[in-house]
Amino acid sequence: MRRWTALVAVLVFSAMPARATEDLVAGVSQDTIEITSSYTGTDVIVYGAIENPEDTGTNDVVVVVRGPDTDMTVREKSRVVGIWLNRDQAKFYAMPAYYFVASTRPVDKIAASYTLQRYAIGLDNIVPERIVSHHDAEPFRKALIRHLQHDSLYGEQPGGVQFQFPTLFIARVPVPAVVPRGQYNVEVYLFRDGTVISAQSTPLFIDQTGLERRLYNFAHVSPLSYGLSTVLMAVLLGWISSLVFRRND
Amino acid sequence: MEIYLPIAEMSVHWLIVLGMGGAIGFLSGLFGVGGGFLLTPLLIFYGVPSAVAVATTSSHITASSMSGAIAQWRKRAVDLKMGAVMAAGGLAGTGFGVWLFTFMRKQGQMDLLVSTSYVLLLGTVGALMLNESLGALRAARSGAPAARRVQHTWMHGLPFKVRFRESRLYISVIPPLVIGFFVGVLSAIMGVGGGFVIVPAMIYLLRMPTNVVMGTSLFQIIIVTAATTVLQATTNYSVDIMLAAFLIVGGVVGAQFGVRVGARLRGEQLRLLLALLVLAVGARLLFGLILRPDDPFSVSVAQ
Repeated sequence: MRRWTALVAVLVFSAMPARATEDLVAGVSQDTIEITSSYTGTDVIVYGAIENPEDTGTNDVVVVVRGPDTDMTVREKSRVVGIWLNRDQAKFYAMPAYYFVASTRPVDKIAASYTLQRYAIGLDNIVPERIVSHHDAEPFRKALIRHLQHDSLYGEQPGGVQFQFPTLFIARVPVPAVVPRGQYNVEVYLFRDGTVISAQSTPLFIDQTGLERRLYNFAHVSPLSYGLSTVLMAVLLGWISSLVFRRND
Repeated sequence: MEIYLPIAEMSVHWLIVLGMGGAIGFLSGLFGVGGGFLLTPLLIFYGVPSAVAVATTSSHITASSMSGAIAQWRKRAVDLKMGAVMAAGGLAGTGFGVWLFTFMRKQGQMDLLVSTSYVLLLGTVGALMLNESLGALRAARSGAPAARRVQHTWMHGLPFKVRFRESRLYISVIPPLVIGFFVGVLSAIMGVGGGFVIVPAMIYLLRMPTNVVMGTSLFQIIIVTAATTVLQATTNYSVDIMLAAFLIVGGVVGAQFGVRVGARLRGEQLRLLLALLVLAVGARLLFGLILRPDDPFSVSVAQ
């Protein structure tokens, strides 16, 4: 993955004990999000500071949050003998299940498109590992991004990174109510005149906890007992109701 | 208070789910039907994934059929032998139905399968019921009894004849097996108990006496929907126990009110109302199939 090579290169580069150049320190408000029964979405706060700021040139900060990779299928309905049914499809392998980018300015103003592509910054630069399609995949990709944006799983917020003081920045990343579980990565990039000069990556874990987690595991680890338990519950509730309401009949 | 449904993977307010269960329970108590054919589309319209809606409704039907079955059992109005034969056909049908369901799900055509089955079945059953109840209403008005023909049919020529004592029938096991199988398939792909198919089939095809029809069909429905729940849980992981619990609790309470209101209405009027309701749900799903969708693209994300 080019993105990772590039990121590692930047991390190694910025870790070198060079002269006091501009650097980035960033933090995330939490390292885990627990989906409990009362979970209805939350905000993750990403904050940080630029060390040794220089007076000349333009600094930009871009915050990218990526969810775990997953396979997605986009299907297109067309009309067959009067009925609309799924005909064509495109499969996108290893797409991030969640993607949010906040920046100080629109990303295409911050850096050249090849730089953005290299770091996969911006909704148009999310590239799956592989696309399988019999047709031009572009309309399917556009539809995919549009759907995920509608579900608040993908988002772009130019101006979402705000400087509170000349060197202190903050960004608010919305995590919707329905969000896939897994390991997320919070990446913070410092651009100077269109070039990445520093970057930092922090993991963020999203997991179900409590009863929901146990039920989900139960359903997937021992589906037979889970199915039988559901039936038993249904039978018992049905039987209890007939006892409770019997005398009224 | 919001609850998180672990299998449907969505947050819902518990009152909404309880209310949906209650409303469907009320209608099923009112009309004396299981209500699966209303609950599955309602859940889908609400945003529950079709696979989860179909599979979870099965367990709701198991529960809502229990109290009726117990009441019939006390009245000894269950033909166990007939029920067992139909359930055997039903289990085979469920197996086939769940296989078909999984296959179509992989092809991305599950919504098509569910919608088309609903449109065809609800359209047919609704039209037949409408016709029958209008006829009954007219007959009631003119004072003439509704005609019922009793005659020997081609079914009496089939082999493997068995005596069903409680039903006072000596017929081949093939028709009940086939009916059971067909209803088992419906149960798996539509999440219905299939009472609105079994009951007319028992009365008009098998010519079972009406006093054992209710109990026997409920007996068969409980076995088949229980099997469907287990099969869906093991093959598609699509049964949401949390959703089921809230729907069932709402459903059994709602059914009690439905039964009370239903007792005050006349049978023909009830059947006319039910026919219109069935046709309305069928029409809603039909529009979904033939109208140009707002967005031709849909996205499915691997689990």
